Amino acid sequence: MMKVAHLELFKKLVLSSLIIFLCACGPGSRLTYFHDPNMDFAAVRSVAVMPFENLSRDQMAGERVRDVFANSLLATGAVYVIPPGEVSRGIARAGILTPANPSTEEIEKFAGIIKVDAIITGSVTEYGEVRSGNVTANVVSMNVQMIEIQSRKIVWTASATRGGISIWDRLFGGGGEPMNDVIMAAVNDVLDKLFM
Amino acid sequence: MMFSTNFSCKPSRLLFALLVCLFSGCSAANNQTRSATGDHPIPANKPIVAVLPLNNLSSTPVPLEQIRQLLSKSFETQGLTILPDETVEKFIIKHRVRYVGGLDEMLAENLRYETGADAVLISSVNLYKENPPPKIALTCRLVSTGKNPKILWMDGVGLAGDDSIGLLQLSLIEDPKELLHKAVQYLSTSLASYLSGKKYLPVSRRKIIKFWPQLFYRSPVFELDWKHTVAVVPFFNLSENRFAGEIMPIHFVNQLLRSENFAVIEPGIIRDLLLQMRIVLHNGISLAGSHDLFSKLDADLILSGKVFDYQESEGTSGRAKVDFSALMIERRTREVVWACESHNEGDYGVFFFDWGKINTAHKMASEMVASAVETLVE
Repeated sequence: MMKVAHLELFKKLVLSSLIIFLCACGPGSRLTYFHDPNMDFAAVRSVAVMPFENLSRDQMAGERVRDVFANSLLATGAVYVIPPGEVSRGIARAGILTPANPSTEEIEKFAGIIKVDAIITGSVTEYGEVRSGNVTANVVSMNVQMIEIQSRKIVWTASATRGGISIWDRLFGGGGEPMNDVIMAAVNDVLDKLFM
Repeated sequence: MMFSTNFSCKPSRLLFALLVCLFSGCSAANNQTRSATGDHPIPANKPIVAVLPLNNLSSTPVPLEQIRQLLSKSFETQGLTILPDETVEKFIIKHRVRYVGGLDEMLAENLRYETGADAVLISSVNLYKENPPPKIALTCRLVSTGKNPKILWMDGVGLAGDDSIGLLQLSLIEDPKELLHKAVQYLSTSLASYLSGKKYLPVSRRKIIKFWPQLFYRSPVFELDWKHTVAVVPFFNLSENRFAGEIMPIHFVNQLLRSENFAVIEPGIIRDLLLQMRIVLHNGISLAGSHDLFSKLDADLILSGKVFDYQESEGTSGRAKVDFSALMIERRTREVVWACESHNEGDYGVFFFDWGKINTAHKMASEMVASAVETLVE
């Protein structure tokens, strides 16, 4: 009787170890975020998504991720996102030199032209294929932050990484998820942290 | 009462009455065939059509004159009177027409009064590859001349020689001329179908679901209670195909015209206004730019967007790739009322023997845009 109980325990131990092992091998998502506890996010009705800083090798990475982010944010229906053409006009009129990292004065000027409650800036730190041995997969790493116009304070930041080589890719190959799906997943991770 | 009793007793008389009604209905329909939009009738008695030189958006050398002649001949057989090439050439030289991808109001008016043309055929070659397997993509639209030009009919076709290779590759098309004839035949049949008053064939539900946009937003303030007039502006092009910014709006014009909820302004008019007002579409249209356009155009909506990828498949193993985002600004609220994000590759959902693989970006973009338009009206 005692032997049977030991066997059951051993089986459970092996199974749980296997699950933990497989989860640890997966690419998963890494996510860090900050929420200003004093900020009333319901007061933010309209936002302008500034061009993202591109720190990757792909020239279009910043624009692609920004576009998916802006459309995803608009699709939530929670805030109104200013069209990118209008944001470009605001940047040109305010004379912002580095739209990805505007100064306080530049934000003030920009807000005077484009009437918004907050601006969102961001950067794409990793975008493209990663290789390990003969296996490749797509990966995206991004950071975003929301700056409230009235206080000019950062009220929310989040970063996410998605994609990479999974245990499945290592064992069976396949090249990982398509890049657009990886971007969507990373953006969804980030937005989940805004509305939590 | 007596009449109805008599007819109910004699089925042959009833049949005769039905036939009389049917023929009288047909003759009424023949007097004036309905157009693509349903608003603007195509003149029934052999309308005179000026065929403009083709707009080459393929980035490759194309036998434009040969395709133009083929289109002219094919459309002539459908009951259109084609204006002689010399007359069109003279008009082009006289008015210094340099852009043949659209028709502005001034040109449309001059064309009507100087040449007597009822409509203009505007065609573009979006893809032309002669290397086996050959590939071709053509778009044609018939635009009325005179004051306030309107799009009467529009269609496009994207074909590849290996679209349906069949058993032992017996159906593989290796001759680019054969493929070209097939494309022209398709367009000609589509026009004939329209001249006979038939509607466009609906896109299958399966394809609509397959190419459903990954992301879309529709504002609750946007209502489809009446027919909206849409102005489609050129897209901001971030792709490697240098004409993708011009090709994507053509797909949207084509698909929006198929919906009963939208009337589309001729893109040539919009292009002319953008040039006149010096509106630069950097990253899409700005609200100030849309304000200027709304003040000059009788449009309820402006459609703008970005193209990230418009890539044709290379050879037999390559895959077509299309990635775009689009948004619509409404006149009343000056807000974005609809936005979508769509990306696909030709081998999406293909597992065995390339069944269902899409070989041209044109065909895929057309179906993706059809699905995107569906999110607007559904």
